[in-house]
Amino acid sequence: MKFTCEKNALLKEIAIAQEIISSKSTISILSNVLLEANEGTLTIRATDMKVAFETKIPVEVSVPGSTTVFCDKFLGILRTMPEGDIEFEEKEQGTFLIKPVFKKIDFRLKTISSDKYPELPSIAENFYFSFPQKQFKEMITQTIFSVSEDETRYYMNGVCMEKNEDQLVMVATDGRRLSYISKPSSEPIPDFHQVIIPPKALNLIQRLASGEGSISIAVSDKNVFLMFDNQKLSTALIEGQFPNYQRVIPAEQKYKLKVGIPELLEAIKRVSLLVEQKSKRIYLELSEGRLVLSSEESELGVAKEELICDYEGPENVIALNYVYLLEPLRVMEGSSVLIEYTEPNRALTIRPVESTEYFHIVMPMQLD
Amino acid sequence: MTYFHVDLDAFFASVEQQDHPDLRGKPVIVGAKPGTRGVVSACSYEARVYGVRSAMPIAEAVRRCPEGIFLPVRMKRYREVSRQIMEIFSSFTPSWIPISIDEATLDMTGTDTLFGSPEAAATTLKKRVKDTFGLTLSIGIAENRYVAKLASEYRKPDGLYRVLPGEEVPFIDTLGLKKLWGIGVKTLNRLTELGWNTPAKIRDIPLRVIQVRLGKATGEFLYRIVRGIDPGIYTTEVKSHSLSQETTFPIDVGDPKILKQTLLDLSHQVMVRLHQESGRSRTVAIKVRYPNFKTRTFRRTLPHSILSAEELFHLGWELFQHNHPLGSEIRLIGIGLEQVETQEEPLQGELFPREYEKQRSVEKAILELQKKHPSLCLKKASLLFPRINSPGS
Repeated sequence: MKFTCEKNALLKEIAIAQEIISSKSTISILSNVLLEANEGTLTIRATDMKVAFETKIPVEVSVPGSTTVFCDKFLGILRTMPEGDIEFEEKEQGTFLIKPVFKKIDFRLKTISSDKYPELPSIAENFYFSFPQKQFKEMITQTIFSVSEDETRYYMNGVCMEKNEDQLVMVATDGRRLSYISKPSSEPIPDFHQVIIPPKALNLIQRLASGEGSISIAVSDKNVFLMFDNQKLSTALIEGQFPNYQRVIPAEQKYKLKVGIPELLEAIKRVSLLVEQKSKRIYLELSEGRLVLSSEESELGVAKEELICDYEGPENVIALNYVYLLEPLRVMEGSSVLIEYTEPNRALTIRPVESTEYFHIVMPMQLD
Repeated sequence: MTYFHVDLDAFFASVEQQDHPDLRGKPVIVGAKPGTRGVVSACSYEARVYGVRSAMPIAEAVRRCPEGIFLPVRMKRYREVSRQIMEIFSSFTPSWIPISIDEATLDMTGTDTLFGSPEAAATTLKKRVKDTFGLTLSIGIAENRYVAKLASEYRKPDGLYRVLPGEEVPFIDTLGLKKLWGIGVKTLNRLTELGWNTPAKIRDIPLRVIQVRLGKATGEFLYRIVRGIDPGIYTTEVKSHSLSQETTFPIDVGDPKILKQTLLDLSHQVMVRLHQESGRSRTVAIKVRYPNFKTRTFRRTLPHSILSAEELFHLGWELFQHNHPLGSEIRLIGIGLEQVETQEEPLQGELFPREYEKQRSVEKAILELQKKHPSLCLKKASLLFPRINSPGS
């Protein structure tokens, strides 16, 4: 195998490959990245046996072929190479030569034959359906922060994705708050079972997908497959039953409070400075036309901020983990947010005024 | 500042002597069954005359004191008595810290108008415990908790000793290095090597030199204690502690069924104690001792508080299996909760309550019932099967 390509074009892809390869596991064939040069294209593959990644970049191929090299060192070498074209060649079996075209640098990496590289999971083309990339990315943005990190509740360690008629739905929860988004698809979505997607793959999509055009999605029993911008990503699904989330979404809330998003965000950021960092409890005092945020009085002091809002309802105090308010607000679009509740000790709904596609459910904390 | 260090005398043995009047005045040894491999947990002063000490192998105790009365450990009873005694302590001052089942430190600063001089207060306290439970205790009084602890040891048993303000250094000098709490055998050997064999000698050495020789933390500790300054052994900042239970098997055990059963039982005992003090903990620890006496502890910290005995057992068993080769034999198993905090954290509402949440409510309800009706005995059915004998647990 022999090919030539520009350093930075390859470096970018190898950096992604290394991110996928689990650095924690012991060195094995899985620590290697697979390179396959054929007909003007270099195919790059990496996997940690859960997430698998494949990308194609145009290169000048002189001798087609394939091999695998230790990704960590390959990346390190590429990083230090001078700018410009680099020649790559598998000399005899077992040695991979890295040589900038106009410099006298000669690196040889040991290779492992590509035959030994595990087969990555795949699915037939006709199982894919397409969905606008921009919308898909937005769905991830609106939900991913609610994923639980508690390994004892592994079935909450990912984003639940399902089909609801012509809508694609994503839900994430850590058991205390929940984020929900549903978006219509322009083309019919084939039936598939509810799946739980680990955040690693979703974070990669956020980074790698351009946001233009569409993403192709296919779901099997064990994996979800995604294709976008010449890249293929698949991930093993989290096995287990996602909680019955519909049960905890209040059908209707009695009282509504409307307030500007930037004002509320700024106020939370300020007041949270004096909020006790272990419980993260912040107080929301509601009265007609007025919302007061405050921290608990502690050894450090106390913070209070008053905001003007649209609210007609009884005077009430609600205690919340302020992060559960901050995170949805950070990704919320539009100018105003609706905070809805029925009783101060029951679930709240936080939703944008301008969109009905998404909302967040938050359980309050004990008041004292 | 006035601190009391209170230490119950030969606590386990004394409780036995109170509960069984015929044992009074006799050498009582509480611990493993003679003929097994366990150790002495506690012994009465009568037994100490024979050279019996706690933590001594039971066989050795039998050899030294053949006429001793050997009793099994009734931890539940000792805890019950301990709790009642600690309640008396708390009626003397709101600021007290339990150190162990038979030890506590009390901040008696500013209680003169209530109880009179420190000596008078201590006498009242001793009398109250003696009258109610028939038990004696030793009290050390000093300006700080560290010296108070040393003072409580000084006139044991049934002692009362006050180190007057300003008398700390002479008191430390009379004790000598060996009796200073917190100096282990290793440090003591090192000090002997260096020729630093009295507190007075160490006082002459600059802090930096001590730290170079013994390390930063030990150096600082030593520098303070030879001057009678509290190095902060029981500062109130230490709000967390551990709760644990362990069992030494009469013979080495490898059978997972027995190990599981034992662990479940121990988990229940630990959780009952946690519920009793309304504590919470996120860290579970498993202790294993192998036939060659090598002991290892494995721990895991969760993002949430451990809710029920069942959950504790599952986590413990998982941790054990993860770190322990299947089927190989062990001598001892223990389970504990670490970083236990009694300070209530504001409760966060749950959208999807955990299954352990329900068990927690059940466990707490059972505890409440038992408190109201002490004769009531509610136990998990799986714990009713004949239990393998576990001395010293």
